[in-house]
Amino acid sequence: MTILEVTELLDGRILYKGEAAEVDFKHVVASDLMSDVLLVDEEDILLLTSLASDQVVRTAQIIGAVGIILVNGKLPPSSMAEIAAELGITLGRSGYSKYDACVAIHEALKK
Amino acid sequence: MADPLKNGDSGLAGTREDVPANEPLILIEMIQRLKVRDVMTSELAAVERTDPLRVAQSLMKNKKISGVPVKEGGRFLGLVSINDIIQALEGGYIDDPCHKHMSTKLVVLEDDMPLSFALRYFNKYHYGRFPVINREQQLVGIVCQRDINRALLIELTQEFNRLESESVSHCVPEDPFNLYVLREFPVAKYDFENAGKAANMIRKVLKEKKFPLKDIRRVAVAAYELEINLCVHSDGGVLTWRMSKGRVEITASDSGPGIEDVEWACKDGNSTAIEWIRSLGFGAGMGLVNVKRVADEFEIHSKPGSGTTVRAVVFVEPRSTDHRQHDQN
Repeated sequence: MTILEVTELLDGRILYKGEAAEVDFKHVVASDLMSDVLLVDEEDILLLTSLASDQVVRTAQIIGAVGIILVNGKLPPSSMAEIAAELGITLGRSGYSKYDACVAIHEALKK
Repeated sequence: MADPLKNGDSGLAGTREDVPANEPLILIEMIQRLKVRDVMTSELAAVERTDPLRVAQSLMKNKKISGVPVKEGGRFLGLVSINDIIQALEGGYIDDPCHKHMSTKLVVLEDDMPLSFALRYFNKYHYGRFPVINREQQLVGIVCQRDINRALLIELTQEFNRLESESVSHCVPEDPFNLYVLREFPVAKYDFENAGKAANMIRKVLKEKKFPLKDIRRVAVAAYELEINLCVHSDGGVLTWRMSKGRVEITASDSGPGIEDVEWACKDGNSTAIEWIRSLGFGAGMGLVNVKRVADEFEIHSKPGSGTTVRAVVFVEPRSTDHRQHDQN
C-alpha cells in the first residue's frame, strides 16, 4: 500500500508528491514525538503525526520514510511543504484522528 | 584632476602592495585574476562632443548620475560633471557644446587591467567612478565601487559553491569507501528553522554515494540528534563531519553552558529541555541515548561553565560488520 492510497483512504489530500510516493510502506509509525520516531529501526515507514512542524519533514528524511500524513486536520505551515519539496518527501493531510487513521490503515492492510 | 593614465602603465598590477597584507588569499587571487572589463558597466549614458550641455544635464537628471562621458565616434574625449553643469547654468552657457567645457584631464582605466589596479585607483584618487577605455581609446564602460562589490560577491559565491562541492571530494568516485570528507556546520541556539539541515545533507551525500541504507540511517540519526542537541541545549556550536576509509565521525562541539551530570544526561528519559522545545517534538531525553545506540564508538566530555563535546563514530560498509562494537541494549 502506498501513501497515495492511504491518503485517499483517509479522505485526505496530497500536498506534495515526493520520490517515494508510489513505494509500498512496510511499517506505520504514529507519533508526535520525533525523538520516538528516530528510535524506530524499520525501513519504508509511513509517518502519521499531528505535529505540523518543519522538523517532522527533516526527521522523516533522516529515517528514510516514504512520507508523512498530517492527521487531526492539522494545517502545515508553508515552510513545511517547502522543505518536503526540497527533501523529496511526500506530504499529505487528513481530517482523521491519529487513532482512527491507524485503525483504517490496519483494516485496509488486512484485506 | 590627475594626469591621464598612459597606455601600458600596468606595472603596478599584480603587485602585493595593491592589497592589505591581511586580505584573504582567495580575494587576492580574485582581484588579480579579474579584469576591469569583468566588473564594469557597459551600458553607458554618454553624450557626443557637439551635444549641448543641456543634454548632459538632462541625462544626469534622468539617470540619476553625477557625471556624463563625452565621446566622438566612440572615442572617449572627456567628462561633464555636475559641477560643470552648475557653472554653465550660473554662467548662462547651458546650450554650449559639451566639448567646450568638459574636463579632459581625467584618470581612466583600461578594460584589460586587473581589478587590483582599479581598487588601487579608487584608494588613491577618491573618485566615485572611472571611465573605462579599450586599447583603441574607445570608451567601453564605466566602473564604480558598487560594480566591483557586486562582481566580487558573485565571484565569491561561485568560489564558495565550487569549494563546497569539492569538499566532498573523492579519490575514486566509483568506490564510496574512498570518500573523504571534512565539513563543519555552525548550529545556532534555538535556530529550529535550520536545525537538521546538516544531517539532511550528510544523509543525501551518503545516499548518492550508495552506502548501505542501514549505515546511512545510523549516521543520519547520530548527526541529527547531535545537531538538535546543539540547537536545544547549547549556546550554539559546530557539528563536524569527518569521513575517511569508511569511518564516519560526527562531532558536536559547543562552548557552553556544559552538562552538570553527564551520566544522568546519557540516561533514557532524562532531559533539561524546556516545555516549548518539547512541543516541537524534541527534548524527551532520548537524544544522547539514541546516538549511543546507533554509533560504533561514542564519547562525551563536558564541564559546567565551559563546553560539551560529543563524538560519535559509525563504521560504514564494507567494514561495518567487523567494527560493530556497541551494545544493542
